[in-house]
Amino acid sequence: MHQLPVPFGLLATLFVFALLIVLLIASGKVPLRYNLRNLVVRWKTTLMTGLAFTLVVGLLTVMLAFVTGMRRLTENSGHPENIVVMSEGATDEAFSNLGYSDTGDLGSLLDDANRARLAVDEDGRPLISREKYLVVAQPIGKPGPDGKQRRSFVQIRGIEDVAYAAAVHRLVLVKGKWWENGVQTLPGSEKKAAELTLRTFGVAMLSATPGPGLRVPVQRRGDADAVTAVTAVEAVLGEGKARELGQAAGKETLEIGDVFDLGPRKWVVVGIMKSEGSTFGSEVWADSALVGDMFGKKVFTSIIVRTTGAEEAELVAKALGDRTITRRAAFSAQTEPKYYATLGATNKQFLFAIIFVAVIIAIGGIFGVMNTMFAAVSQRTKDIGVLRILGFARWQILVSFFLESLAIALLGGLVGLALGSLVHGTTATSIVSSGQGGGKSIVLQLTVDANTVAVGLLFSLIMGALGGLVPSLSAMRLRPLESLR
Amino acid sequence: MKLFLLMLKNLRRNLLRTTLTCLALLVLVFIVTLIWSFLHMLDSFTTAKAGEQKAIVSERWQFPSMMPWSYASALEAELEKLPPEYRPTGYMTWQFYGGTLDPTKMSPENSLFMFGMEPRALKMMDEMDDLDPALIKKLEEDKQGLLIGRDKAKTLGVQAGKTMTVTSLNYKGVNLEFHVLGYLPDTRYGQSAVMNRQYLLDALDDYKRKNNGTPHPMADKTLGLFWFQAKSLKAIEVATELLEAPGKFTQPAIKCETASSGIASFIEPYRDMLWGMRWILTPAILFVMALVIANAISISVRERRTEMAVMKVLGFRPGQILTLVLGETLLLGVLTGFFCTGLTYVVVNLVMHGMKFGVAFFPAFLIPIDALWWGPAIGAGTALAGSLVPALGARSIKVSEVFSKVA
Repeated sequence: MHQLPVPFGLLATLFVFALLIVLLIASGKVPLRYNLRNLVVRWKTTLMTGLAFTLVVGLLTVMLAFVTGMRRLTENSGHPENIVVMSEGATDEAFSNLGYSDTGDLGSLLDDANRARLAVDEDGRPLISREKYLVVAQPIGKPGPDGKQRRSFVQIRGIEDVAYAAAVHRLVLVKGKWWENGVQTLPGSEKKAAELTLRTFGVAMLSATPGPGLRVPVQRRGDADAVTAVTAVEAVLGEGKARELGQAAGKETLEIGDVFDLGPRKWVVVGIMKSEGSTFGSEVWADSALVGDMFGKKVFTSIIVRTTGAEEAELVAKALGDRTITRRAAFSAQTEPKYYATLGATNKQFLFAIIFVAVIIAIGGIFGVMNTMFAAVSQRTKDIGVLRILGFARWQILVSFFLESLAIALLGGLVGLALGSLVHGTTATSIVSSGQGGGKSIVLQLTVDANTVAVGLLFSLIMGALGGLVPSLSAMRLRPLESLR
Repeated sequence: MKLFLLMLKNLRRNLLRTTLTCLALLVLVFIVTLIWSFLHMLDSFTTAKAGEQKAIVSERWQFPSMMPWSYASALEAELEKLPPEYRPTGYMTWQFYGGTLDPTKMSPENSLFMFGMEPRALKMMDEMDDLDPALIKKLEEDKQGLLIGRDKAKTLGVQAGKTMTVTSLNYKGVNLEFHVLGYLPDTRYGQSAVMNRQYLLDALDDYKRKNNGTPHPMADKTLGLFWFQAKSLKAIEVATELLEAPGKFTQPAIKCETASSGIASFIEPYRDMLWGMRWILTPAILFVMALVIANAISISVRERRTEMAVMKVLGFRPGQILTLVLGETLLLGVLTGFFCTGLTYVVVNLVMHGMKFGVAFFPAFLIPIDALWWGPAIGAGTALAGSLVPALGARSIKVSEVFSKVA
């Protein structure tokens, strides 16, 4: 079923507010021109009161944009026909360790009925990707004078066959290519490396496989002497990660061919994934064997299984968690949307904290508005007396002041929304987790959607209504003759 | 004194306005106090300290850190080689064992996370001063013993004296039976538990015996963190140089850092959120407060123009008028700020025993005693900022103008 972008309750409340305002204005019996003129004449007070609304709604918009960005990230990360398989009991890939014997041929652990539910490629191979997911604590800059070293967590996904894994995850590249060898010699590094080697070590380090030593011999045509060259691990980055690493290096984003440090080695960007605001946008993908050797991750952490459909995925996930079917091992298997939904626990905590903070600030704002409106009433007692003598009823006076308060709230709120919306599209780092440890460090895009706009408007109107109601009631109760004295 | 009494009288004159302004300030100071207390707690965790402090040794690159158990004794032996002035005064190992009481219906409510530790090292943990030494002794004597946080015990429905079986989630196949011996202090350990490390090590040995000599896959990754108590920051630097020297501790490589540096790494993913709290949210709230005050005082000054003109005729100097207006707001701001932070301190610390923010490992945070001056300072600062322009307006009221209008 198509989901409405804005919850029905929210829309209904906004509609009731709008209807109320329109009906009151349409009745034609409220001295609206008088109120509007007052707002203009007392522009300083109007401006200051409106500014309070602007700030509160602006803050709320920014905070909600943050949570919406996080929510979208967890919602967009999974495909309903994909299953995440982890070791039994694991709730997070970072804590999952799958035994080699269990991951050899996952399809063979299933019964015929479930095996038939697995999606296959053109060659008839089931679409299953074995992956090593790990989190690396990467130092940022040099330690400070107090010895404190800043570190950021970088998520690396070791992949066996990258093009195949991309097909399983349905990820495509926006730039560059998938890696071919896993490592490459950095262009122009041969000579520099040779000089460095001779100066620093005296002899070249010879290594058959490129390990943490970073240097492998390079034989050049017509050159009898072997020189060392700097090699780098080929990596494909998510868009968010490329941007984050780029900003750390003083540029907008990392581009193809850029080199960065991660763990004990240099890495070169060969491709950038179109990750569409998913958690993969915050990952670094590289060859599984290289990653495993470098960081001591011998076993696979997760297996992604593509099935023929969402319903089939549910059935296969259930089977993989059933020891009587797999006969060998039970796994923690769940469809990707379910897995990523569990990572949304942090979103709820943040949302709760934001609502708490926003409501408290709003209460403060309401008292401020109330103060202004009470002052407006006390300054205009004579005006109220004149209006009453001119024939305006008590309820019309009430509505008049109430609408004045709502108008300031609406104006201030709209400006706040406009200012808060400026953060739309900017990126921020955060973490999503199931609340049971672990989690994924993510680069999210702050998102101001229709929901945020509706909440901001409603919040502003409620503040205006609550702040304006009591003073309006006091205005209504003024007696004409007394107020004219 | 006369001026002060006048200020008090003026505040009492429009009680509604004074009350509303106070209420606005009260809630806004409250939220700023909460935010600052939370940031203060994080700062206190992550600020490098001089003098005696703890250091953490963990896996250099991977998170979570999983080092072989043999590292524990090797690290200790290595550190004991240091000159006496740099030699640590205590050691502590942390293993992490997590599991559930109901493997068929696993949920956060029936899951449990515990530290595997040497009972004697418990006192080295932060905020364990209130732990009953008798419980440490009990844990030493009963390797199946378990000390648990009260909140967790309540969620699990277990009490001291009970026995429970935990199906492990991270040590697959190593399910353990525990005797609940007592409770951890009600500080940051409300959701945690501590087990005797020997029990886990014995269980891993037992696993190997039962599986024809095949060790558990986690057997060589059981050491999470190794802590040592250093005499100074310099001692940590010397120890770091020793432990991170090439050729030592390479499979996996390790890193040694101050506890504050280690905790700062955990907080790193939250940096943008914390930056926003510090540099956007708090200033914006303070600005709202200043606006509320500015609005109230502007209205008040506008209403009292005639009165101020009379005061000038009576001999009050412009400076005194300025002081009067500023004094009224400062008095309001300082008193409200102090009252609010005092009340918050009492409610959060003494009634609620800390405020929980259920993200990451952050414990329930308390309002620091420093908050008692934050409130008056916030109140005074925002009052001054908000009332300066209206007060200057009051100072420059022209008597002739006011009376010409009255006439």
